[in-house]
Amino acid sequence: MHYLSEGFKAAFTILLSGQEGTFNAIFTTVKVSTFSILLTLTAGIPLGFILGYYSFPGKHACRAISDTLMAIPTVVVGLLVYAFISRSGPFGGLGLLFTLRGVAIGQFFLGLPVVVSLTASATEQMEDSTRLTLMTLGASPGQLAASSLWEGRYAVVAAAMTAYSRIISEVGVSMMIGGNIKWRTRTITTAIALETGKGQFAEGIALGIVLLSIAFIVNGAVSVARKRAAS
Amino acid sequence: MTYIYELESVTQSYAGRTVLEVSELKIERGSILGITGPNGCGKSTLLRILAFLERPRSGRLLFKGIPVRDINEQLRREATLLLQETRLLKRTVFENVVYGLKARGVKEGLTRKVHSALEMVGLDPGDFAGRHWFQLSGGESQRVALASRLVLRPEVLILDEPTASIDANSARIIARAIVDAREKFGASIVLVSHDIEWSYGAADEVISMFSGKIQSRNIENIIQGPWEEGNDGTARRYLEDGQVITAAGKPGNEYSTGLLDPGDIILSLDDPGVSSGRNALRGIVTRLNLEDEGQSILVTVNIQDTVLTSRITKGSLSRLGIVPGSTVVLVFKSNSIRWA
Repeated sequence: MHYLSEGFKAAFTILLSGQEGTFNAIFTTVKVSTFSILLTLTAGIPLGFILGYYSFPGKHACRAISDTLMAIPTVVVGLLVYAFISRSGPFGGLGLLFTLRGVAIGQFFLGLPVVVSLTASATEQMEDSTRLTLMTLGASPGQLAASSLWEGRYAVVAAAMTAYSRIISEVGVSMMIGGNIKWRTRTITTAIALETGKGQFAEGIALGIVLLSIAFIVNGAVSVARKRAAS
Repeated sequence: MTYIYELESVTQSYAGRTVLEVSELKIERGSILGITGPNGCGKSTLLRILAFLERPRSGRLLFKGIPVRDINEQLRREATLLLQETRLLKRTVFENVVYGLKARGVKEGLTRKVHSALEMVGLDPGDFAGRHWFQLSGGESQRVALASRLVLRPEVLILDEPTASIDANSARIIARAIVDAREKFGASIVLVSHDIEWSYGAADEVISMFSGKIQSRNIENIIQGPWEEGNDGTARRYLEDGQVITAAGKPGNEYSTGLLDPGDIILSLDDPGVSSGRNALRGIVTRLNLEDEGQSILVTVNIQDTVLTSRITKGSLSRLGIVPGSTVVLVFKSNSIRWA
């Protein structure tokens, strides 16, 4: 266990000294995950709302698929996206492989089912009395839909944060699509995997502390949002 | 006489079960109509139809003399319902109250209108307008919900148990605000309440419902089971204090409901004694309500867990000299009880 305590000491030294390679990985992670989550929310919230609010043929099948994809392994997403954007794939010409744009696309597919399913659940669980209240106040069908989504906003925020947690902590997509290229596509998780493999625990622990701190902040915000949604 | 609503042979059913059968109901414009009845008697279904939240399965519904064919938000904006289970929007009090105005595209004088509505329900706008929904008590939430309807100055205000499960002060303020709504902007009001006394205090007319039907356009005493069938063709309902109500005939089952017209109950100060065809129950007067512009009086009497109401004349009241707190004997024939 000695190497662990030594690792923690060295980790703080690395963080406090502002080591360039480490901070580049942190910056890359925040940049790509922020872009991915924005993309995911833009598509996921409307899709989730439609899935939860409206009735249409095949709704249950869509829901089952979305729920199942929430648990899809990140390496499987990485593999599928890789197959599409690699040079021999249908989108190979776009040059997305080993770029942050490619990683963002992979993370989008990772986070999308989470946002869709949790937004759909939040919409479905919205009490009938809320819907009736809006109707008795004279809401038109459009106002009813928009206000229903707004009333479920805390649950939707919780869905967004859950998806962000999955995106920021994944390693499969970043490794397979990004390629872990230093200064370009190296993220916190791929850097941890690499440094641990090289026996450089201190840098791995330093990055782990940063990742955990981000996770704490996100989860703290999720629990506040959930509490607000339940009140 | 103009009617805001006219219902003819209106029925509603869910999953093949008929829950509402109204052969005829006319509600006068500008009136306050109270509806009473036990749980599951169809009151809330009737209110949802009147609020245009659902379409009746069959029958004719006229609103302001015009048959209602399609229900939409334009109709719903003329008749607003305050639900039994208050659900404030997850916003501030101001945003809750202003919602209906914004939905109607109103842009002028929003603050003034919201503040005026809050004052109508006894909430200080300076203190409450900025509060969030989770910073309110149950009574305050109900008052905000009512203010959200009053601000709309609706043609019809429909209230489902507006004073259930709230504090006495809030209930009193809500009752006052409902009467004010009629006085200030001529709203027609339909209200459902388990509280017969309160209904009578607030409404011009009270109808009783049972099993989806309007039993009478008068108040009815509802005597719930359990009934014990005797060998003499009567049924008995034992009260907590040992007194017994005897009804002629056989109830449908142990938990059948007996209906008793308040006009069939005579009040006496002396116990005339129980006979085979007559009930005599001792109880305490809890409330007196004027009816028919003071020509008759409704006397509410508590007999332990049972509340019965008797209708007596002004002359009888003077002769008996009863006041709330007086002990009286309610006398009625066993065959006055009808099975619902």
